Amino acid sequence: MLVTIIRTSHFAFQHFWRNLWISAITIFILTLTLFIVSLVGSLNLLAGQAIKAVEDKVDIDLYFKQGTDEADILKAKVYVESLPEVSKVRYISRDEALESFTATHTDDPDIQAALAELDSNPLPASLSVQANELNQYQAIITQFESSEYDTLVEDKNFSDHQAVIDRLSGLTKRIYQGGLIISFIFVFISVVMMYNTIRVAIYSHREELGIMKLVGATDWFIRAPFIIESVLYALLSSILAMSILSVIAFSAAPYVNAFFTGYDFSLDLFFVTNFWIIALGQFLISLILAVGSSMLSIGRYLKV
Amino acid sequence: MIEFKKVTKIYSDQTYAARDLSLLIRPGEFVSIVGQSGTGKTTLAKMVIAEEHPTRGQVVVGGWDITNIKPADVPVLRRQVGVVFQDFKLLPKKTVYENIKFALEVCGVEQRKIDAIVPQVLKVVGLEEKRDKFPHQLSGGQQQRVAIGRALVHRPKVLLADEPTGSLDTINATEIIELLLKINTLGTTVMLVTHNKEIVDRLRRRVVAIDDGVIISDQQSGKYNL
Repeated sequence: MLVTIIRTSHFAFQHFWRNLWISAITIFILTLTLFIVSLVGSLNLLAGQAIKAVEDKVDIDLYFKQGTDEADILKAKVYVESLPEVSKVRYISRDEALESFTATHTDDPDIQAALAELDSNPLPASLSVQANELNQYQAIITQFESSEYDTLVEDKNFSDHQAVIDRLSGLTKRIYQGGLIISFIFVFISVVMMYNTIRVAIYSHREELGIMKLVGATDWFIRAPFIIESVLYALLSSILAMSILSVIAFSAAPYVNAFFTGYDFSLDLFFVTNFWIIALGQFLISLILAVGSSMLSIGRYLKV
Repeated sequence: MIEFKKVTKIYSDQTYAARDLSLLIRPGEFVSIVGQSGTGKTTLAKMVIAEEHPTRGQVVVGGWDITNIKPADVPVLRRQVGVVFQDFKLLPKKTVYENIKFALEVCGVEQRKIDAIVPQVLKVVGLEEKRDKFPHQLSGGQQQRVAIGRALVHRPKVLLADEPTGSLDTINATEIIELLLKINTLGTTVMLVTHNKEIVDRLRRRVVAIDDGVIISDQQSGKYNL
């Protein structure tokens, strides 16, 4: 068995080298296909993260009138928390608001000077409310306005990011659909390329194959080199595609990470954590494409 | 050793290559199958290695009914029947040694055994001195010897030679026939398909003449008579 594996592998490498140009082009096309499929996957992932980031920013801020008793604000908090649409409520006291405001504008001397001149804290206490779903904010506002606590509130700030999210979703969907179409085109090209590469290999080895059959080589021994050859294409192309993807992921990481500042997402960390899963996924896709198309070609052109 | 039992072979274009043909070749025999081109003698040879199958009747090789042989069993059969053709079918980029070795390699024979068998075969076919030559550096007769050597590596019970002298001059042709006779004396059954009258007449062995898929004569020590 070992002898057979070694010999069929030897024949497979021989096929590879004897048709080096065709082998190189096949690997190039397979690599390109894998890269495009990975790119579409990455765009999908990043778009998902971007939407999540925007969704996280959506909230309602309820600013309470100056002098409102903290106990009343906390009662209002309990009321808001009891609403079924609400997922999270955060109480920001006046002191916290000032602290946060000062920290945010620490590099702005004008604001620092203005704050220093004020005798008292000008910022109101507030509740920051987040809903379970994006479309529930209006319902929360309506319910709050009909409650007894509405009179305590001076201002409500509902930062509506729905339009941005819709636009982003639409754009992402279009990019994804376009990417899928391009991926399918490249998958098709790969299959045709692989099919013809094996066909050429069969044609250029027709004398040897004929002799193999005459002297009693088994079907498996005759077919195996072509299958091993396609596994070799799959392996090399997935290594190449993974290398290119690594370079791009690490080059783009600073920019992507800057975009997601403040959110729990880091492209390089994601890539490193999922490296082997991505690599294995690429190899499997490549293997299915290469071995599948070569089997078709073997079935069609290699009569044993 | 080889038996055709009421074999009829009809090709898709309705050509008859054999018509209710029966023939028995015994172990150790040297039989020449003669006939003009297109009479069906090569089809008989192809049926022995299961490259063709009879439309009707039975083909038995070494007691094995190969009429409806399974594809997976064909390699087993072909290791028991050595085949030689007019066009040698050698690999031009392999040396004499490598060409013979190839037949063992592709059948998964261990290197140790290959190293033992190939020199023995080279000795039988008289090409020990030419082991590192490429086919284009050899005469036609020597190339055919390589092909015979390759056919012998599995120590087959039957050697099937389909027009082995077809592209050789008289001297080379005679040498090849002498080699076949030598192999036959070593116990291998030889089935020689030919239309070379001179050779058949000189052999003084069994001659089976075929015409239009029918055996028209079968002589134990015959001549080429059509």
